[in-house]
Amino acid sequence: MSSRQIMTPDEVRRATTRISHEIVEKQAGTEGLVLVGIQRRGVPLARRIAASIAEHEGVDVPVGALDITFYRDDLSLVAQQPIVKGTDIPFDLNDATVVLVDDVLYTGRTIRAAMDALVDFGRPRAIRLAVLVDRGHRELPIRADHVGKNVPTSREELVRVHLAETDGEDSVDIERRAPTPAGGPR
Amino acid sequence: MADRARSTAAAIPGGLGQLVAELEISRAWLVDPAAGREGPGEIVVRDGVLEAITWLEGDEAAGITPAGVIVAPGFIDLHAHFREPGFEDAETVATGSAAAAHGGFTTVCLMPNTSPPIDNAGTLGAVRAAAAASGSPIAILVYGTVSAGRAGEALAALGELADAGAAGFSDDGAPVRSAEVMRNALLYAGMFGLPVIDHPEDPGLTVGAEAHEGLVATILGLKGWPSAAEEAAVARDIAILADVLLSEPRARLHLTHLSVAGSIELVRRARLAGLPVTCDVTPHHMALSDEWLAGARGFAWESAAGATDPWRGGSATARAYDTSLKVNPPLRRPADAAACLAGLLDGTVDAIATDHAPHTAVGKDVEFGLAANGISGIETALGLALEAVVAGRLPLIRAIELLTTGPARVLGARLGRPVGLAEGGPADLVVFDAADRWRIDEASLRSRGKNSPLLGRDLPGRVLATIAAGRLAWADPELGAQE
Amino acid sequence: MGRPDVSLSVDHLAPAAASLPGDGAPGQALVPALERPPLAAPWPHRHLLDVDVLSWPEIELVMQTTDAMGEVLRRPIPRVPALRGRSVTILFYEASTRTRVSFEVAAKNLSADVVNIAAQSSSVSKGESLVDTIRTVEALGADMLVMRHAVSGAPHLAAEYFSGSVLNGGDGWHAHPSQALLDLYTLRQHLPGGSLRGRKIAIVGDILHSRVARSNIWTLTAAGADLWLCGPATLLRGFESWAAAWRTPAVPGAPAPRGFHVTSDISAALRDADVVMALRIQRERQAGGLLPSMREYAARFGITRERLAAASPEVLVMHPGPMNEGVEIAPDVAVGPGSLITEQVTNGVAVRMAVLYLLAGATETRRG
Repeated sequence: MSSRQIMTPDEVRRATTRISHEIVEKQAGTEGLVLVGIQRRGVPLARRIAASIAEHEGVDVPVGALDITFYRDDLSLVAQQPIVKGTDIPFDLNDATVVLVDDVLYTGRTIRAAMDALVDFGRPRAIRLAVLVDRGHRELPIRADHVGKNVPTSREELVRVHLAETDGEDSVDIERRAPTPAGGPR
Repeated sequence: MADRARSTAAAIPGGLGQLVAELEISRAWLVDPAAGREGPGEIVVRDGVLEAITWLEGDEAAGITPAGVIVAPGFIDLHAHFREPGFEDAETVATGSAAAAHGGFTTVCLMPNTSPPIDNAGTLGAVRAAAAASGSPIAILVYGTVSAGRAGEALAALGELADAGAAGFSDDGAPVRSAEVMRNALLYAGMFGLPVIDHPEDPGLTVGAEAHEGLVATILGLKGWPSAAEEAAVARDIAILADVLLSEPRARLHLTHLSVAGSIELVRRARLAGLPVTCDVTPHHMALSDEWLAGARGFAWESAAGATDPWRGGSATARAYDTSLKVNPPLRRPADAAACLAGLLDGTVDAIATDHAPHTAVGKDVEFGLAANGISGIETALGLALEAVVAGRLPLIRAIELLTTGPARVLGARLGRPVGLAEGGPADLVVFDAADRWRIDEASLRSRGKNSPLLGRDLPGRVLATIAAGRLAWADPELGAQE
Repeated sequence: MGRPDVSLSVDHLAPAAASLPGDGAPGQALVPALERPPLAAPWPHRHLLDVDVLSWPEIELVMQTTDAMGEVLRRPIPRVPALRGRSVTILFYEASTRTRVSFEVAAKNLSADVVNIAAQSSSVSKGESLVDTIRTVEALGADMLVMRHAVSGAPHLAAEYFSGSVLNGGDGWHAHPSQALLDLYTLRQHLPGGSLRGRKIAIVGDILHSRVARSNIWTLTAAGADLWLCGPATLLRGFESWAAAWRTPAVPGAPAPRGFHVTSDISAALRDADVVMALRIQRERQAGGLLPSMREYAARFGITRERLAAASPEVLVMHPGPMNEGVEIAPDVAVGPGSLITEQVTNGVAVRMAVLYLLAGATETRRG
């Protein structure tokens, strides 16, 4: 299994900063804006974006964490990955503009599940999506509003995002692994 | 089937039920407890008569061991339930006889807890007629009830039953609750020299009981069946017997399916004091234990004495609450099974009796507490006894004694024939291969009752042929019987 | 189905064993950490019939999943689609409103389709056998079966005939796994550090007939609590032998893994107790000759303010419900400070959601 880095720590930092500016630009300010990070790595990313916004706008945008474990459409994963990390949305979503934040956008199923979950919390005015990496291969009609880096990949590759808060360092790597047998789990 | 068996036992001329025209078994291990003898030998049966027995010695005996084909006298079961009349879904005299022959038994004593119960000469006659009509050469003896209707209050027509051929009297399925009725029964039956066979249980202590009162029942949440319920009844019966003997010296007591150490000890002491009390133990109480309810599947003698716990050490491999294990008296602790085995060894226990208790799926395929009590065991008795022999817990000749001369002594004159491998008499014997294991499953069991906890297991001692009163009662299908 | 080697029933909690994550070791906080190590193997249990087959990591997983379910219950819409498209049949042969409704709410919160059968009203009461009922339930499309029955071992029989998951909602005197799990969960939220290790817990009442007591014995001793069972001698029969068996190490020379105390001395049981769990005394016990009268039980064993004075000042009080106030527990104790009784009910829904979720995952895997 070989691995190569596609984003250095500086690149991660710049991408996050740019995204934070784009979010504010699209919203024409910070009014009504909330960030919801998708567990796990979407959460520290969302916090970094909020910190950046606070730095250049002087406003603290609310940040929440969303665990989509209970919204997956594939229960067979429960046995293998049953650990839940926790949802924490301590503010009212009604009429808010929610920016979902995740590390990698791939098939789009995670985002679909996240939207299902958000709707149970209230009725946002709008939902937007910010991701650090978009690796293509969408299976649902989902697109990100803000992308850190577009990375074309093949299905045999694995995109690994490392963040200091969870993994000790910032980096985005691509791993090439052995081709999965036909019909294998993704 | 082992080639050895094929070479030793030829196909048997004459079909099932027919006189055995000719059978020669060479190079087998003969066991004759009546003569107190076992060893290499040969037998010849001609026209239903055991024509010749030859004990081999020296070079001729070389290579013949008990781990092969064995010839023994036909087994005698002191305690079986063939459910006819009244419960023919579970078994009939005909199907029970076939099962008995498959198990190597040539004589079976039937308990009278049928519907109607056998408390009068008419019903007893009907059962004997059913035996005759079955065409099976197995000798069927029948016990009459102790009390009228098995209600435990008044004596049944004991004299009439004795005249009609009853081999003894029992309210089995239930104890004789009233001490006074028990005393009167022992006195009255003593006049005929017939035993009263008691199922020792103090019913006040066993209301709703489901499993032996011990660790397993506590953890599984099952209502306990205390040892004291059996011991108290045994002590009562022995005390009453001692009294009764003063008036009627011919009185005899037989205690059936003892299961706890305390009961064995009480009988041991009574025997030392010279009381005419006999007793039997079932194969399942000797070989299994209450740990099986928790899902353990080892024989009782494999558990360390005392501190056993099927929840530790991963010995539970099967599911818990298997109703094929629900029996009265219940399976007890391994230490109790060990005490039963010790009693079988030292002569305190006279016989292994199967308490063959077939049930339909309707009776057993229910919640544990609601399941009928009983194990279908007449076909697996030999196998379990041989497992004890193989494990070094029971000498072979003692095991055969417990299935032949022991029960014969209890029955006394009612058996009506000598027991043993004696030249000149009608052949009454069983031929089995101790080294050949057979799979117990619904297809291989001949009984209608498939309620055996041994389903899916192999046991040693495949029965090759059973000959009762000179007639072929069972031949292993692979062995074949020539018409 | 055999028991795995690392179930609660094996002595893996002996001091010599490696300390497992989240076993309540001193100083370890309970708040679910982001980095709790996952189970070594996938959740293997298709059924939950007894609590003694669960390993400690599996119990930890149930606790964490319950935390998440608790969060779901606090949302404006307390619902997740995790069991959408699954059919859960609740089959109760014993009258029990609270537990039956608790399971129904739990299943519905997971978006499952729920069929609730109260045995008295169905053909069951006309004598349909359990096996036939299970076959019918399966034919009607049930994926999961939650069962309560008056006879010990009934869910084990159901599991033989049902191709989905069976969750034991209480069988006879034998087991009540979801109750033991919610009791454990509740205690961990209130005891310092979320740890039960060394805490004195007294269960008082009709131990003999209690499935709640039996299941709690497994979980509370596995959690390292100092467990005391207390009641009249007639209602403690058999438990001293159990405690004695556990005091004997499975392997000679190994330290005895854990034990519990059995006593009819209420003062000894309550002295310095951190937790008192009262069990319901049923009138039938008096009729069955096991107790002279309910009054005598209340006088000698009832949990009152006076009796609790001997316990720890912050003693927690629990009861699985329903309560006979004035018999096993005084009314003011039931609602007083330290009473966790209502929380047990709330946590019950969260725990049952967690268990249904985990079992559904195991069945899904089997379906492939």
